[in-house]
Order: sequence, then C-alpha cells, then structure tokens
Amino acid sequence: MKTALMVAAVLVAAQAWAGEIVVQALRGDVSVRHGVTEVWAKVAVGDVLRPDDTMKTGKKGSAVILVPSPQAGSAGARKVTLPAEVIVDMSDVRDLTQEELMLKLTMEKVRASSYQWKSDELQMPSADVVHGADRSSTQVLSASDPSTGVLELNGAHVLYNNGFFATCALKGMEVFRLYPPLGKEFGNRLLVAEALEKAHLRGEALNEYGTIARLDGITPEQELLVHSRIESLRK
Amino acid sequence: MPLSRSAALLLLMGAAGSTACAQAIFAPRASALGAYAALVQDVRGFTANPAGLTGMKDWDIYTTTYTTTGTGGGGFVFSGFGLGKRFLGFNSLAVQYTPGTTLDVVKRATFRIAGLSLATDTLINYDEPLAVGYAARVSDRLSLGIQARMQTEKVSNPQYTLEAINDSLSTILPVQQTYQRDVWFADLAVSWKPADDVSLSALGRSLARITSRGIPSGYDQYALPWTRSLELGAAWSPVQSIRVSAAGSTAKRGALGAEWNPLADLSVRCGLYGDGTLSPFLDAVGVGIGYRYLFFEADASYVRFTSEANRGGTVASASFDPSRIDDLGMSPYAGDRASFSIRAILGNVRETPVRIEGVQLAGGVYPSAFQAMAYRPVGRVRVRNTSNRPVAARAAIFVDRLMDRPTLSQPVSIQPGETADVPLTAVFNDRVKDIPAVTIRDATVTVSAAIEGDYDDEAQARLVIHGRNDWDGTPESLRYFVTPDDPEVIRTSREIMLAAKDSLSGVPSELGQLRRAKLLCDAFAGRLVYVSDPKHLTEFVQYSPETLRSRAGDCTDMTVCFSSLLSSIGISTAFVDVVPPKAPEKAHMFLLFDTGVSPQYGDHVSSNPKRYILRKSKSGRETIWLPLETTAITRGFEEAWTEGAQQYFDDVELGLGLASGWVRIVDVY
Repeated sequence: MKTALMVAAVLVAAQAWAGEIVVQALRGDVSVRHGVTEVWAKVAVGDVLRPDDTMKTGKKGSAVILVPSPQAGSAGARKVTLPAEVIVDMSDVRDLTQEELMLKLTMEKVRASSYQWKSDELQMPSADVVHGADRSSTQVLSASDPSTGVLELNGAHVLYNNGFFATCALKGMEVFRLYPPLGKEFGNRLLVAEALEKAHLRGEALNEYGTIARLDGITPEQELLVHSRIESLRK
Repeated sequence: MPLSRSAALLLLMGAAGSTACAQAIFAPRASALGAYAALVQDVRGFTANPAGLTGMKDWDIYTTTYTTTGTGGGGFVFSGFGLGKRFLGFNSLAVQYTPGTTLDVVKRATFRIAGLSLATDTLINYDEPLAVGYAARVSDRLSLGIQARMQTEKVSNPQYTLEAINDSLSTILPVQQTYQRDVWFADLAVSWKPADDVSLSALGRSLARITSRGIPSGYDQYALPWTRSLELGAAWSPVQSIRVSAAGSTAKRGALGAEWNPLADLSVRCGLYGDGTLSPFLDAVGVGIGYRYLFFEADASYVRFTSEANRGGTVASASFDPSRIDDLGMSPYAGDRASFSIRAILGNVRETPVRIEGVQLAGGVYPSAFQAMAYRPVGRVRVRNTSNRPVAARAAIFVDRLMDRPTLSQPVSIQPGETADVPLTAVFNDRVKDIPAVTIRDATVTVSAAIEGDYDDEAQARLVIHGRNDWDGTPESLRYFVTPDDPEVIRTSREIMLAAKDSLSGVPSELGQLRRAKLLCDAFAGRLVYVSDPKHLTEFVQYSPETLRSRAGDCTDMTVCFSSLLSSIGISTAFVDVVPPKAPEKAHMFLLFDTGVSPQYGDHVSSNPKRYILRKSKSGRETIWLPLETTAITRGFEEAWTEGAQQYFDDVELGLGLASGWVRIVDVY
C-alpha cells in the first residue's frame, strides 16, 4: 500500500512537472466541471485537469492541486490548496503577465464597444426606441442564486492568497457583473482593488478604490482605509 | 535719309552713307524677364521654348505692339500676333505672325553722271515673319516641342537705264531690282519638371535649314549666318508668388530673370541680358508688369541697352556686320523699346486648378455590399492643386450601366501646389446585384475644383466587379449578405414560430428570445448538411434564401443564414471571426446572438458562465449572448451552443484572441 502511494505521488509530481494540473490530494466533497458543460463530476487523486475545467469544494471538502509553474524551481510545480466552499477555474490558476492582464482588461472594453463600427460605414438612421415588447408573459424571473457567486469569490480569495493577483481581480469583476449585490460589499470590492494593486495596475486600482469610496453604507473606518490607499497610490 | 518705313526702327548708317534698322523683341513678358525659356507656358514668346505650349488651356490669342524710345523712334508699331490651341488632350499647336520682327538696312550710295547725282542705295531687309510650333506632353513632367521659323532676306538695288526719248535726247530711268530668299529653320525643345517648383528647358535652335534660291551671289555679304545653338533654361519657384529664371546659350548669350506676384493677378518682372560677344558683357536690362483680369492678360515691358553704340539708328558702314546677327530679337543693332501686349484665353477658358495624378481602385466592388459603397470608398484619386490658391476639390466616379449617374465625393481642401487623396464613393444601381461572376469595367473618374460646371480633369481606371456571391473575406462585409427582411427568410422564421407557439406560452418574457432562438435552430436539426465552397477565386457566400432552399453550405453560409433568421424575429446577432495567427488557413466563423437576458439572471441561461458572454447592447445595457457553432445546428441547438461556447472559451478566454486581434466580433444588426 505504501509503495503504491509513493508511486502515485511520484506520478502526480511528474505530470505536474510536465505542464499539467494534477489533483494531489482530496478531502470531503470535491467535484469538477469539464469545459463548458453544466455537470459536476467526481474527481480523484491523480486526475489531470484541463485549463477549461472548474473545481468546486463542498462544506467540508478541500483539495490540493499541483499547478505547473516556472517559478517553482526544479520541482516545476506549485501546490495550491483549495479550502472548503470555493469554486476555482483552472484557467485562473496561472500567472498572467502584466501584458496579458492588460489584454484581458482591454477585451472587456472590446466586447462592450462593438457597436462603434457602425458609425464608420452605413449611417442609416435607426430608431432609438424600439416598439413591440412582448407583454404576453406574466411570469417573473428570479435573480441568480448568489451562493454560487459567493463560492466563486471564495475562489478568488484562494487565487489572491496564492499570488494569482491578476486572475483574482478578473474573477472578482466577473462575479460582480453576474451577481450585482456581491459587488456592493466592501470586502469583495477591496479584494479586487488590492489584487489590482498587487498586479501593478495602478490606474485600475485607483479606479476600483474610487468605486469603493462611493459605495453605499461604507463606514468611516472603511472610508479612511480607502483614502489612505488612494493617497499611497498617488504618491 | 530712310528709304524704308516698315514696322521696324530705322537705323541709318550715316558716315558711309548706309542705314540699318532693328526689330523689336516680340513678347513683353519675354523681353522683361530675359531668361524666359523655362517659363513658357502659353503662346506668348513660345519660340523661346515651344515645348512650353503644353501649358495652354485651350485657345490662346495674343497681339503685341511696341514703340522705340531711342533716336529715330516714336509711334506705336504693330508687332504681330500669335494663336495657339490645345487639342486631343495634351497636344498643342501655335502659330505666330510677326511682320514687325524685321531689320532694315540702307546702304547709301550715289552715282554721278553728267553732273547728275543719282542715289543707288542698297536696301537690305531681314524678316522673321512666321513661326509654327507644336508640343506634346509625354508625361506629367515632360513635354516635347518642335517649331519651324521662317526668315526672309531681301535685297533691293536700283538699276538705272538710259532710255532714248528721241534721236537726240535720252533720259535715265531707275529700275528697282529686288531679290528675296526664304529660309526655314527647325528647332527642337524639351521641357522637364524634375520637381514641382523647378522647370528646366532645352532648345536646339536652327538645327536644320531649308533655303530657297533668289539672291545673286554678289550679295552674299548680306546673308545672315546659320548658327546652330543650344539654349538651356531653368526656373525655380522658392515660394508660390516668386519665380526666378536663368538662361544660357552656346551663342555666348545669357540672361537672368525674376517674376513676383504681389497680388494674385498682378506680376512684376525684371531681367538682365548678357552677351559674351559684346562689351560690356551686361547687354540690357528689362522690366515689366503684367495684369490679369478674367480671361484677359495685359503685359508691358521696357528694355534698355547698356551700350547705345550702333543702336541710335545710324552706324558706320564698316560697323554693320550681318554675321553678328544670329537673333533678330537681340541683335547688336536693337534699340531701347517699350512693348505692350494683350492676351485672351478663349474656348474652354475655365481655370483647371486641379489635375489627376493617379487613381487607385483597390479591392473591387462586391455586389453584396454595394450599398456600403455609397459610404465606404471604392478607391481614391490623387489630386494636385495646380493653381495659386486653395481649392476644394471634388471627385466623381461613373461606371456605365451599373450606375445611373456619377457619384460625387465630399470636397477636400487642397493648398496651392499640394496633393490630396479624394475618396471615391459610388452609388450603384440594382443591376450590380445581377453580375454572376467577376467582371472588369471601365470606371471614369473626374475631378473638379468648382461646385458647378464641367470637370477639370478626367481619368479612366479598371474596376473589378465581383460576382454577387463573392465575399472579400472580412466579417464587416459578410453582414451585407444577411437579409432579415427577405420574404423567404421571414416566412421561414414565422412558420417555425407559429408551429411552436404552444411551447412559447408561459415562458418568462426575459427568456423569450432565448427560447425562440432555440426553437428556430432546433427546427433545422437533421435538415442541414455542411458543404464546402465551390472552387473559386474569392470566397463564396450564399444568400440566406439560397441556403434555405439547398439546406447546405459551409460555416459562413450557415452563419449568414441563421443571422438572417434570428434577425428576422428581432434577435441581434454578431459574427465571431477567428483567424488563428499560426494557422490562418483554419479560419472559422460562428455566431453570437443576444438572449436579452440580464447578467443577474444568468443561472436561468446556464449554471456555467463559460457558456455565455456578457456584452453591452446598443442601448448600453449588458446582456447575455450565446455563441452558436452554426455548422452544428444540424445536431440541435444545445450541441451548437456547446461547441460555440467551447470555441469561444478556447479562443477568446484562454487564447486571448479578441484582445490580440485574431478574433473579431462584428455586430450585424
């Protein structure tokens, strides 16, 4: 038994060194969602995860994964521990260069400004108001369950604690768009602002701190903290 | 005393009883500048450089007069006129009739008989009455010219005969003997503009000669020499209002000139003449002025010689030497004079301040996007402002049969002497949509600096008209294949919606678009087949009705078809164009559509956020968009969505393709 465990450990380390994300240890309820599917599947020690996979831990669950990392020296892999109640995208467990982070942030703007090209070509007049809304349905849609967003923010904390500041900031921003109430909480916003600061994106961090300063219900102590951060960034 | 009062100034050769006359320099602009050859651009003084005739606009008429101010002068004399015409594009022809370009010499002699003194003066007349020039523009910067000049030499000498009246009485009767010889000279000229502000010219003068007989050999001493010479000229315009010029000849003559426009229509000129065969070297000084009003131009000049020897009207017989006269215009016997002229530009007299320097019609016209050509340039024309004031140039393009009338561009401001690219937009008629395959058409491009009236310059260029199904490969152009208002598309989508009306009832309005899109796609499950494009020079795209009828197509056909269908039921779509940088041959396209669902309702769309994209709509509201791999729609909506989402995540989120530029999202409607 002992020999088998040793062999498994060696194999896991070898795969991580080869550039793959490998599950090293598991405890309790841990599952994985592959790619763009919607199904959470069981995972086992030694499983190789793809960058488009997502890992979720339950209330008493935890996992240890080995992530390829050039900074890890000869070992070639870095150990990341996922505590209970987190959702982490494997694509986020990576170090983005500042350039890549800037590209990702630019991408958000590119996606948002796709209508500008129309002014360059056919300048056909179009109605600002579109009539014809469907009023036949009376069913009211409920907003998404924020518990998933909380798990994802917990995952963002994991990223932050492991030094993946860029992906932490991006994940936080995405969660705020999908679960707007979470974006109004001071602690969540502060996480993103600090991640941006740690990622050396001074301008973006200042913007985020500025947003925090305008949050409703912010306490004087919190306001003081934010202003001190802004001042230190402006120096 | 003078024996002749022709149009020239008489010069008496008193001491030896001889007399000579000098003619006038024909054109005041030329005489004021001295160095004129490189500045010739019309009929005025074109004999200095006939290649400059290409500068004429259309008809050019010119007449001049002069008066001498030296001894024996006075009164105005008709000098001559010139007539020029530009024809067949840039060919120019001019003729100059100058009866005033003459030099008369009177060599006095008397014959005494029986105590009776009889005059036997010899009259020698040199004349250059006619010149004909032709010029052709070889290129925008190079012109060639040729001219023929006619010169006449006439000698008159009275002969006396003893006529018997009766047996005892006789009388002496004078009989005037006149001999004339015509000489034609041929000159060749070239004008070159190496730069916009520099002009160079070269003239080979008297390169060939044709001489008629007519003067007895006893009068050979009065013959003018045949001097072949090369005359070079240069002009430079350091600023728009100033021109300086220089000229030199192998006949040891040279000149410097300057022309300044203190006002747009006013010119002030001056020039210096040098002659290496004379002393002092500085032979004469010229000044002049010119004024233009509408299509008329008046010039005046005054030429003063530095040495008045031999120019007073009378010279010693021994001093008169015909061999020193190789230019009737500037002979050593010419005197100070003032000249005046009027020029009129007739015919197509409108200024042509702009000229086409090049036309570029790149890429051709894709019938699918023909409406966009009204706004997106099909090409551009490079236009030069050849005038001395800023102009607003407009260009027009016309393709016979495919356009109802020329399409005029927006005006572009161009500073004097500068060039600008004027974009050419084109409004095509519906016939362009019927062109089945690539064809080449002539496109006529015209430019004008005037808001109304005729164009200033014209050019022809070849325009490629692609077939109606051809596509230039850009996602922006692909959207013109999307036809949501096509009756067949509308009928198809409405029939599907009607058939599924039961499943639509009870769906929350926020999810209505998503449900309708799903129904529309599922209606084609198992009913489509992927077929590659036919072998073709350009990419081939089917219009939506064609795909609906054939039920087959490639990724672009399917994307266009489902974009049309979704748009026809009010769902916004966008193309995702993927051109992998390391494998461009694997370029691919799929579709995004707007569910209209706000992000906070994302769980109702999918529990996995990787399956959707958040985008701002035109109104600025962020909504959830779904990627669809349209070639997988035959396997149903869910499959198409899953494949599209996976591709989007791999290319955009992991590969950063959107930020790097190798993935592009183009909204359709």
